[in-house]
Amino acid sequence: MDILFLLVPMSVVLALLVIGVFAWALNGGQFDDIEREGVRILLDADQSPRSGVDVHQGSAQHGLEQSA
Amino acid sequence: MLAVDGMYCAACAPAIEAALRAVPGVVDAEVDGALQRARVRWTEGRTQVADLVRAIQALGYRAQPARAAGARDEQRAEARRALWRLFVAGFCMMQVMMYATPAYVAAPGEITADIEALLRWASWLLTIPVVLFCARPWFAGAWRDMRARRIGMDVPVALGIAVTFVASSGATFAPGGVFGHEVYFDSLTMFVFFLLGGRWLELRARRATLGALDALTQRTVDAVERVRDDGTIESAAPQDLRVGDRVRVRAGQAFPADGRLGAGDATQVDEALLTGESLPLPRAGGDAVLAGSVNLTSPVVVHVERVGDDTRYAQIVALIERAAFERPALARAADRVARPFLWAVLVLAAGAAAVWSLIDPSRSLWVAVSVLIVTCPCALSLATPSALLAAAGALARRGVLVQRLAALENLAQADVFAFDKTGTLTEDRLELSDVRWFDTRGEGTGRGEAAALAAASLHPAARAVAQAWPGAVLATLQRVGERAGHGIEGFDALGRCWRLGSAGFAGVHEGSAGNAHTTSWLSCDGTVLARFAFEEAVRADARSTIAALQADGARTLLLSGDRSNAAQRVGAALGIAAVHAGASPEHKLALVTAQQAQGHRVAMIGDGINDAPVLARADVSVAMGQGTALARSHADLTLQSGRLSDLLAARALAQRMLRIVRQNLAWAALYNAACVPLALAGALPPWAAGLGMAASSLAVMLNAQRLRRD
Amino acid sequence: MTSSIASSPPYDDDAVRGFTVMSVVWGIVGMAVGLFIAAQLAWPQLNFGIPWLSYGRLRPLHTNAVIFAFGGSALFATSYYVVQRTCQVALFLPKLANFTFWGWQAVIVAAAISLPLGYTQGKEYAELEWPIDLLIAVVWVSYAIVFFGTIGKRKVRHIYVANWFFGAFILTVALLHIVNSAAIPAGWMKSYSAYAGVQDAMVQWWYGHNAVGFFLTAGFLGMMYYFIPKQAERPVYSYRLSIVHFWALIFTYMWAGPHHLHYTALPDWAQSIGMLFSLILLAPSWGGMINGIMTLSGAWHKLRDDPILKFLIVSLSFYGMSTFEGPMMSIKTVNALSHYTDWTVGHVHSGALGWVGLVSMGCLYFLIPRMFGRKQMHSVPAINLHFWIATIGIVLYIAAMWIAGVMQGLMWRAVNADGTLAYSFVESVKATYPFYVIRFMGGLLYLAGMFVMAWNTWMTATAGRRVPASPLAATAAA
Repeated sequence: MDILFLLVPMSVVLALLVIGVFAWALNGGQFDDIEREGVRILLDADQSPRSGVDVHQGSAQHGLEQSA
Repeated sequence: MLAVDGMYCAACAPAIEAALRAVPGVVDAEVDGALQRARVRWTEGRTQVADLVRAIQALGYRAQPARAAGARDEQRAEARRALWRLFVAGFCMMQVMMYATPAYVAAPGEITADIEALLRWASWLLTIPVVLFCARPWFAGAWRDMRARRIGMDVPVALGIAVTFVASSGATFAPGGVFGHEVYFDSLTMFVFFLLGGRWLELRARRATLGALDALTQRTVDAVERVRDDGTIESAAPQDLRVGDRVRVRAGQAFPADGRLGAGDATQVDEALLTGESLPLPRAGGDAVLAGSVNLTSPVVVHVERVGDDTRYAQIVALIERAAFERPALARAADRVARPFLWAVLVLAAGAAAVWSLIDPSRSLWVAVSVLIVTCPCALSLATPSALLAAAGALARRGVLVQRLAALENLAQADVFAFDKTGTLTEDRLELSDVRWFDTRGEGTGRGEAAALAAASLHPAARAVAQAWPGAVLATLQRVGERAGHGIEGFDALGRCWRLGSAGFAGVHEGSAGNAHTTSWLSCDGTVLARFAFEEAVRADARSTIAALQADGARTLLLSGDRSNAAQRVGAALGIAAVHAGASPEHKLALVTAQQAQGHRVAMIGDGINDAPVLARADVSVAMGQGTALARSHADLTLQSGRLSDLLAARALAQRMLRIVRQNLAWAALYNAACVPLALAGALPPWAAGLGMAASSLAVMLNAQRLRRD
Repeated sequence: MTSSIASSPPYDDDAVRGFTVMSVVWGIVGMAVGLFIAAQLAWPQLNFGIPWLSYGRLRPLHTNAVIFAFGGSALFATSYYVVQRTCQVALFLPKLANFTFWGWQAVIVAAAISLPLGYTQGKEYAELEWPIDLLIAVVWVSYAIVFFGTIGKRKVRHIYVANWFFGAFILTVALLHIVNSAAIPAGWMKSYSAYAGVQDAMVQWWYGHNAVGFFLTAGFLGMMYYFIPKQAERPVYSYRLSIVHFWALIFTYMWAGPHHLHYTALPDWAQSIGMLFSLILLAPSWGGMINGIMTLSGAWHKLRDDPILKFLIVSLSFYGMSTFEGPMMSIKTVNALSHYTDWTVGHVHSGALGWVGLVSMGCLYFLIPRMFGRKQMHSVPAINLHFWIATIGIVLYIAAMWIAGVMQGLMWRAVNADGTLAYSFVESVKATYPFYVIRFMGGLLYLAGMFVMAWNTWMTATAGRRVPASPLAATAAA
């Protein structure tokens, strides 16, 4: 199973990277005040895209995207 | 320095800086989005902290002076560190377990030596962070203990971890050498993870218990509205309030200081966090309000009486903090037992290693490690504190503050309850006990006028009359005025002068007067119409509390310094047989000591001002929640709500707590008794030892959590 | 009437729109090919003796099209959409995002041409030859730059959990692809794998299973964690659990690969590890499922009226089912029966049609109207129709394959008293025939649903254009 000489060191490096990422997240305050974050996505309005679409009269009557 | 809350976007910082700079008088402002701090320099006198706070609030964030937020930051940092350690341990544990599994599942010889070495190297690499970083608290603790030349709980754990790691490393790099062939990186990482898990849960439980503290600290007010002498309103910071100031508190705001409501104001307040009283309480002009409680219904003006650290709220916070860090007697006792136990553990481990080196040298090291790990007296040391903390938390939610955790044990075992009278069994208000009508014109004439006069005064006697006749029709009186210390007078439509007050004020001749403190007189144009007699109101739940205690087999005593018949009357009304009226402090002390000499455990319930030596002497002292009492008392428990029935609840909880402590101790003993022989016999591999130790600690903690469920 | 709300940041949705539309298109293509090869299994005449239409060449076209063209486009679309809105910021390097769109379409077209022509590396889900692999790598690195760059310039400090799933999916797929596709070229469309024999098998299934785990699971879980709360208008049941779920999944996924190699030349202990960790995977997977479904707790009535929610929630049930079935099948004794049978195909398709397909459809139905300035699809009853057709199709499909698979396994291992095999292989093929027909019908229904979706999408997208855009009409109406 010589392939393990590739896969195992790779996973060790990966594990250390993952730990590093978690450290960054933790110190960046990603895990503070967690329950609020679940609600946050519901509070912001999604906008209609600004580019590309011609907002014609027809769709204008339907109104623009309100927050869902 | 301000702590800004709610800054969830790094780009908010410039906006806040700009807003702050726009406040006149501000010289410079710097906002650190990551630390959520704003450093502001301003010219003294040209602006105030309250203006800065308002500028920030206008943008939608909360701000408060940084020192108030310091404790929360510290808590947050501690929680983060603990989570960090736990995560690293858990993650490394999973990876190491993966590398270790082939060795378990493969038949001997199936894995080639080089692959085996590879897997062990990888395991070793990922165990290093666990040993050096995650397990640091135990190494630091063990180091501290050794420098103090004593054995603490951390020593066997640290020793076990160190030995396991060194031996496994040896087996990795020099297989077949002195350290043998087996590696136990998976066990090592696993039990560090479980240990950390136990600690993390303990930290969370502790924080939940102290949740009362967090909830209280959320009540800090950001800016207050001070009423100037000319009646206009200015904005001020809570720290700037002085005694004698008047502040306007709107509905929904928390009171920034202790004080009294202005005359004519009326509202409802929520004092739940301070007293455990869940119903909104009515407060009218002259009533006391507390910092930290919430004004529910109407805006009011408060005359400030106590600010800052003098407020009851601040004292409660300090009490909770103090209570949390004290090590009660039960825990100290457990520690005392733990110490020789730990020596025994070390000796046992060494002995096991020696014996096994004769029987099967390759296993001697691992047997010793197992013994070290499995006998960790964590359960023993956790048994009591976890229960105490949980009980204190449950009590805090009910409005019973525990200042000395150790006292809970005594409360559970108390069989003599001595009550003070005034303020304890009785409330600090008067109750109308008797009305004698002298008027020959017919009984009850003058009722309306008496009620009208009583309604116009805040004097306790007047309030008692008003409360006794809630549905009375008030007569119409003109020019109603109160003369402090004497009484109230008013004039009716016929021009007659009605007076309600002291004997002299109402025109009563000496001789027929009773005790000045407990009677008031009603007169009309000098003719005495009625005599009102008052008594201290007995607390509504006093009788049921006494009855419950007696039904439980406890003895109740009434100790009062009051010489009058009132003590006897109250005792009789409540069913307390042993009434000691007119007792001096020395007498009370002697009574309590005598009870203790007979082997009883005495609980003293009083207000603490007069009875300091007695309270200190009693096995457990309980104070009713009153402002000044709290400042001076050193009571073990305080019934914030003023409900005597909380005493019963506290006692019941304390008894449950004792049961749980006993369960925990029994479990810890049983666990050791079962596992130590197994480990000595070599039947417990290190990973199982780690699992068992962590599980036993967890079991103790979880058992204690049962106390939090009422 | 002005077109945008001034206070909110404009988002860059060109790539989102492109990927959204192409998702539907490639869905039809990939599923049509799938239907065709299903038909070929039942009626081999459909090979027509033409190499480009032969089963062996079309099967990888089907798998690549549904996984990378359909699934991949949906992932691109949703990840670009979600990362912008959860970070409150427009895409980083929008032109690079557009490049990823065109690059990805190029990859798909190249696959659609090269696979029928017979160019293949022979590794499952990694058949494409080395030049296309290089293009994939370039597109993927660009994708990572756009995605992480957008997170880097976010205005909200917290990174919403969906982005963690997307980010993990992007990074691991990059790693997996690069390692597994390592090959030595021997001509423009010919190469030899850098690994050989059983070593190659191990790498292949390390890749293969993690492709399933991160491409088809983590990525779509990211979708789920955003669009279910949005559509249900309720926050995730337990946000804390979603974070724990994420890290738990990261812990355990990497080593489940060997369960594809039970009873092969792979050493027994390696197979055992695969089995063990596949079983452990059950827990975090179900954590995610429960979290998503319980988001509707207290609002189950919404399922009655909202077909998009039906898609999303039912997809989670299939997810739960597949993540239970998978670990069961990775147990060696079970695998001894199921390996190489159609049960494996049934398992794959319950996950693919049930989880990946339905969640993609739900999210696409959310996205499509918004990409064209509408509030909802042209026809909501059509969404409902699609849901029911698709679900019935799935049930027919997997039921057929379960029965066929177990039957095959039993037939292949049946021995007579004297130890000889009771059935010849071709007898098991004959016995499977009716189930192939049923499976074909299930697939036909599923594809029909996609046509309904395509029609609905067309009507939604062109609705704006069909009303004349004249200012006079506006003022007359005003």
